[in-house]
Amino acid sequence: MYHIIISIFIFLLLTGCSGVKELQIFKQEVEREKLNLNKPTPLELENLKWIIITSNNAEEVFKKLEESGIDPVLWGLTDKDFELLAKNFARIRNQLKITNDLLDKYKEYYESDLNKENE
Amino acid sequence: MFGSMRMIMIGVMVAGLAGAGAYVMKLRSDNATLKANQIKLESAVTEQKELIENQQKDFKKILDANNKMNELVNVLKKDLDELDKRFNKKNRDVGKLAIQRTESIERITNKGSANATRCIEIASGSPLTEEEKNATRKSEINSECPSIANPNYVPYNN
Repeated sequence: MYHIIISIFIFLLLTGCSGVKELQIFKQEVEREKLNLNKPTPLELENLKWIIITSNNAEEVFKKLEESGIDPVLWGLTDKDFELLAKNFARIRNQLKITNDLLDKYKEYYESDLNKENE
Repeated sequence: MFGSMRMIMIGVMVAGLAGAGAYVMKLRSDNATLKANQIKLESAVTEQKELIENQQKDFKKILDANNKMNELVNVLKKDLDELDKRFNKKNRDVGKLAIQRTESIERITNKGSANATRCIEIASGSPLTEEEKNATRKSEINSECPSIANPNYVPYNN
């Protein structure tokens, strides 16, 4: 009889020690500061004037330059080189556009919340 | 002998009752903790759902951005091809044309140069003018880069 009572007592004592522990959920979210750099100011370029010189009009062109008070000197390109120059500029323009749009996409993706806050 | 036995029994019974009471109290406390845990778990599940939704939105944004960039690369390539055509269409020799029609080629060159300059400004982020936005006819567009200068222009022939 004693053994039973003591066993029950010890059982109650031991089960009393164990219990349900409170669940701990750890949250540590520290966001990086937004870079938010301003976009570069768009370019404002000067227009330049092309003069076409052929063997037929060369004298006339230089005469006109002198009459206009401009030094009678010209930097020349052949028709093939002019074509290459035009294509090079087109490639630079395309690259500029792609880079610029890429920057916009990154800003839109990573800083859209910040833009909304600023608005 | 019998008296001390009774005392022990009473002692055990009192201790048993006290233990039972303490056990019930502990159960109640455990129950409260479990309820709190349940609430936390439900909140965690909701947060996870939100997280998954946000991730799906982000994936969509990434996909859209990629598609738009690919589209842009393609239209810019088309502009470059058009420029090549302008110089070499039907075995055109710009040099010979310039000798034959010097003034008109000079005029065309200067117009093209001004257009190309404007294209670089636009590519660098300059906003489009109303005229550029509303251009729909070939005579109104910037022929050097219609894909970025004239968003409403739809090419109608080659």
